[in-house]
Order: sequence, then structure tokens, then C-alpha cells
Amino acid sequence: MAMIEVKNVTKSFGTLTVLKNFSVDFTQEGVTVLLGPSGTGKSTLLRCINGLETIGEGDILVNGRSVKEKKNLREIRLDCGMVFQRTVLFPHLNVMRNLTMSPMKLLKTPQAEAEEKARFYLDKVGLLSKEKSMHNELSGGEQQRIAIARALMMNPKALLLDEITSALDPEMTSEVLKILENLAAEGVCMLCVTHEMQFARHVASRILFMDKGSLVADAGGEEFFSTIRKENERISKFLHFIGE
Amino acid sequence: MYKLNFNFLNKYGGMLLEGMWTTLALVVCCLAIGFVLGTVMALFKQSKVKPLRWFAAVWVDVLRNTPFLVQIFFFYYGLPVLGINTSAPNCEIIRAGLMAVKKDYYECAAALGYTRFQTLWYFVLPISLRVAFKSLVNNFVNLVLTSSVCFSITVVETMGAAKIIVGRVSRPFEVYLLILVCYCIFTYIVSFAAKLIDKKIRIEL
Amino acid sequence: MSFYDYAYLTSNDAMQFVKATGVTLYITLMSLFFGTVLGVLLGLVRCSKNRVVRTLPLLVIEPLRNSPLVTQLFLIYYGLPMVSRIMLDPYPAAILALSLNTAAFMGVLVHNSVSAVPDGQWEAGLALGHSRVSTFCHVIARQALRLLVPQAITLYISQLQCSSLVALISIMDLTKLGQNLALRTLRPFLVYGIVFLIYYVISSPLAALARRLEKKLAFHY
Repeated sequence: MAMIEVKNVTKSFGTLTVLKNFSVDFTQEGVTVLLGPSGTGKSTLLRCINGLETIGEGDILVNGRSVKEKKNLREIRLDCGMVFQRTVLFPHLNVMRNLTMSPMKLLKTPQAEAEEKARFYLDKVGLLSKEKSMHNELSGGEQQRIAIARALMMNPKALLLDEITSALDPEMTSEVLKILENLAAEGVCMLCVTHEMQFARHVASRILFMDKGSLVADAGGEEFFSTIRKENERISKFLHFIGE
Repeated sequence: MYKLNFNFLNKYGGMLLEGMWTTLALVVCCLAIGFVLGTVMALFKQSKVKPLRWFAAVWVDVLRNTPFLVQIFFFYYGLPVLGINTSAPNCEIIRAGLMAVKKDYYECAAALGYTRFQTLWYFVLPISLRVAFKSLVNNFVNLVLTSSVCFSITVVETMGAAKIIVGRVSRPFEVYLLILVCYCIFTYIVSFAAKLIDKKIRIEL
Repeated sequence: MSFYDYAYLTSNDAMQFVKATGVTLYITLMSLFFGTVLGVLLGLVRCSKNRVVRTLPLLVIEPLRNSPLVTQLFLIYYGLPMVSRIMLDPYPAAILALSLNTAAFMGVLVHNSVSAVPDGQWEAGLALGHSRVSTFCHVIARQALRLLVPQAITLYISQLQCSSLVALISIMDLTKLGQNLALRTLRPFLVYGIVFLIYYVISSPLAALARRLEKKLAFHY
């Protein structure tokens, strides 16, 4: 069974329709990358999946639970961890507390266990030494890596990543992408919206191309960059435009 | 030349001290009341329910634009009114703090799985209060200075004690001068402590 | 007039309200005037480059800011006659006390407003060849004023509320009238309700004005 089922979703902001009768299924495996020009509903789709945006028509089921029912939202959000474009580390807590707070308060994890887990993930993202730092002592790339660790602390079944490197300079971007590659290699299921083509090429097991709110192409990584690209003019133009 | 004479302290120093204790008690109670009310009103003002927003707006507007002396005459017994009076500026200050917490934080907390109440309790309030701390302390100082008016409805706090003493000793200059200095000292100590605490709990957003 | 007539508010009382409001406004406006003049002076001195000169106004400002107005008022009205030959009537004493208090807060506001203008503005002015004074007059002052005006209005409103304290030295202002009438008619809610209303009607629109001005005049550096 697919983990996330998007069924005929239509989403509008006022008169602007961002998602048109959109349907797709995601399984709990591998890295899926959403590509496409700006404003085509990629981020919106992600935000609809974990209930940050309400959908008009259609439905989204996460592990069988409908996004449209408010009581399901908590479970859904525990299943799908999300990392945003602008890092939102809680400013009044140091890194350790940022990481341990949610498991302790929401999953009732005991403190010692939470801290051990936090150190494990800090190590994974390469920032074990920054345990006691405050958010303004960290660079943008470091903050995003902590944000990833924080999302992982909640044992999500999938990570939703919404253009998490778009606000970073190239050096920090590569730090973060490296971490994502490592996580992908370990089998963490990810759903990324990104413009980083190299990353998509190397890591993605599935690529979805969206344009004007609809799904244009849905293929495996290599297949996308070779076959589909040749067949579809729109995609070809897009990839050419961003320098591939 | 007038000779300053502080001898009255020998006899009436105790009474003055008692008055100051009363001020302290009065002020602490009203600080609590004022803070709670102020927070409640701030939350009302941010809520989606129109009557609540309206109620809080009227509350703040009326309290800020009418004199305290008149307020206490109106309510006579003084104690709750001082708390009510101070809740009005508190509301504005706490609101400023609440607005400093941008939408991003709410979204992030929601994405992590916190309920609205949890978000408020664990994140919004701690951040808002740290941002608002300096202004809140400022308001507290105003509270102390305003409490001095309560003597006019025969609450025997510092000014009340002073008036009684002046009545008996007929040395208004020394007595009021001493009180002035005492208030100043108290205010300084509070402001200084607040600066130190503010430095420690400051957060950059 | 029979005894019972005193229990009601008459048209004569309406005139009293008008007169008393006039007294309140008179005292307030006089104090605001003197207070502003003195306050601006104090504030400008606080902006000087000389460290010693800068702290002199604090000797005046700090005690006035950090103690209750009531105490200041009583000190002047009751205390001054004892130490000097100066026996002030209630009106002058009230205006003096309120003026000094206003001056203290105004001084702080002026200093803050001028400091809030970014250093870059000073540097630009000096670089163009203006003297310090000229830079201030042509560049800084107008910008500082835009910050100052809304805050000054808020201060004025709050001083209007403070003027009610003069009732405690038996000046027949709006509050004192309220006290008297409340005692006479034994209807405190009605009488103080009217008093409330008058203060509110004067203050609230000004407060709204101040809020709008603040938004309109704010610079986004």
C-alpha cells in the first residue's frame, strides 16, 4: 500500500488554481524529487500533505488517514517530518533542547533517551560539537542540518523537504546536500522539492515534473534525464534553462 | 536658613516602614493580577473571535485614557483597580511580544505535531515574554509609582503613612523628600536588576 | 431649593462640569507648554558630545522620572513653604510640579528620538560640509521630529490623566468636582461615569491620532 495517496486534489489560492486534479502515490521508499518551474504547486503539494494547507477538492491519505479530518493531523504530522526553506530553530532553546523538546513533550520519551538520540542524530549531521549553541551562533547551513536532525528525532516515516537549500549560499548548500545523500544511502524516505539538479541526478530514485499545477512526467532518476527529456519539449527547455 | 530635621524618623520610622511593606504587598498582588489580565487581554486581541477582540480593545482603550485617581474613586476599594489599571499597558506590551513570533514558528511547531495550546505554551509565550521583558519591567516601575495614589482612598501604603506622619510632625519637606528618594532608590534597583536579567535572557529572533 | 434637589444633577452642575474641565485643560496645557520647552532643552543638552555636559540633565530627569508625581506635588505644595519663603498657591504649585514631571519625560523622548536617527545621517551631513549645528538643524531635527511627535502626543495624554492628581491639593478640577458631586448626590457611578466619559472623550481620539501618526511617519531605514 502506498504511504501517501494524493487523489484528484485541486487547490486554489483565491482565483489562482495551484494544483489541478492532481493525483500521485508515494511509497515509503527512496528519494522522490519534485521538479518544475516556480509557482507550479510543488511546495503547496508538500504543505497539503501534512495539513499546513487545506485542500479544496479531492483528498490526501497518509497511511490511510485523511488529511481533511482535523483529528488525523497529529498522526499525519508525526509520520511526515517537514523541514522548511527558512530555518525555524526555536530561538530561546539551545540546540540540544531544540532537538529533545519535541520527543519529550509529544512522544513522552524520557530525557536521557531523548538526549542520547539527539547526540546520535547530531553526529549524523556532523554537528556534535554544537550541542550547547544557540541558534544565532550557527551558520545557515548548520541551522538547516539541525533542522533536519530535529525532524528525524520524531521518527517520521518520510521526510518532506521544501527547498531547504534555496536560501543558502553554495558552500552551505553542499554541506546540507551531503547530509541528505548520506541519509538517502541509509534508506530514509524523502520527498524533496529542490532546484539542485546534481542532487536530483545522483540521489533521486523517482522524479516528478510539475507544470502549472499538473503532473507532466513521473519517472525514475536516470530515465528522466535521458529518455523523458528527449521526448518532452517543455522539460527539455526547463532543464536547459537551468543549465543542465 | 532652614535646618533639615529628620528626627521624626525616630518616632515614626516604623510607621513609614510599615507603609512601605503595604506598598510592596499591594504592588506584588497587582503585578500578578495585572500580568494575568494583560496576558488574557493580549490573547483576546489576537483571537479570531470578534467580540473578544472588541472587548479587549475597549478594555485597553478606556483604561489608558482615563485617570487612575478617578478609576479608584469609582471602584473605591483600590486593590483590584490597580491590577486592572496596569493590565492595560501590559496587554499592549505582551501583544507586541506575541506579534514578534512570526508565522514561521507556528507552522514549524504544527509540522512537528504540536497542538495549538502546546505551541502557545512551549514556544510562543516563552519567546514573547523574553522579547517583552524590558517593557514589562518598565510597566512594573510605573505600577509602583502609581500605587502611591492609593493613599487617597485611605490605603495606608507609603504615601499614606507619609501623610499621617506629616500630620503629626509638621515637617512635610523632609518627609516627602525622603519618600522621593526611597522611591528613586527602589526604582533604580529594579531597573538595574532588570537590565542584568534582560542581558541573560535576550534572544535574537 | 429643597433638600432633595441636591440629590440630582442640575443644569447648574452641567456648567460646573464645563468649568472644571476648563480648569483641567488649563492646568494640563500650561504644564505641557512649560514642560515641553524645558524638556526639549534638557533633551538637547543630553545629546551633546561632551560627557560631563551630557549627564547634567540626568540630575534633574532621573529623580523626576523615578518617583511618583503625587510625592513631587506634595513636596512642592506642602514642603516648599517650610524651607523657603515661597508659599505657592495651589494652581502655580500644580503647574510647576506637572511641568517638571513633563519636562523629565520629554527630555528622555527628545534624547531617544535624536539618537534613533542613524549615524549615517550625521556623517552624510558633515561630509557635505555642514557644521554640527547645521547638520542638526537641516538633517537630523526633521527626522527626529517624525519619531518624536507620536510619542509626545502619547506623553501628553498620559499627563492629562496625571493632572487629575491636583484634586488632592483641592484644586477644583474635573476630578475634584466629581468627588464633590458624588458625595453630594450619593451617586458615585453616575458622577464618576460622566467624569470618566469626559476624560475618555478628550484622550481617546488623541491616542488614535498618535497611533496613526506613528505608522505614517515611521521611516524604514
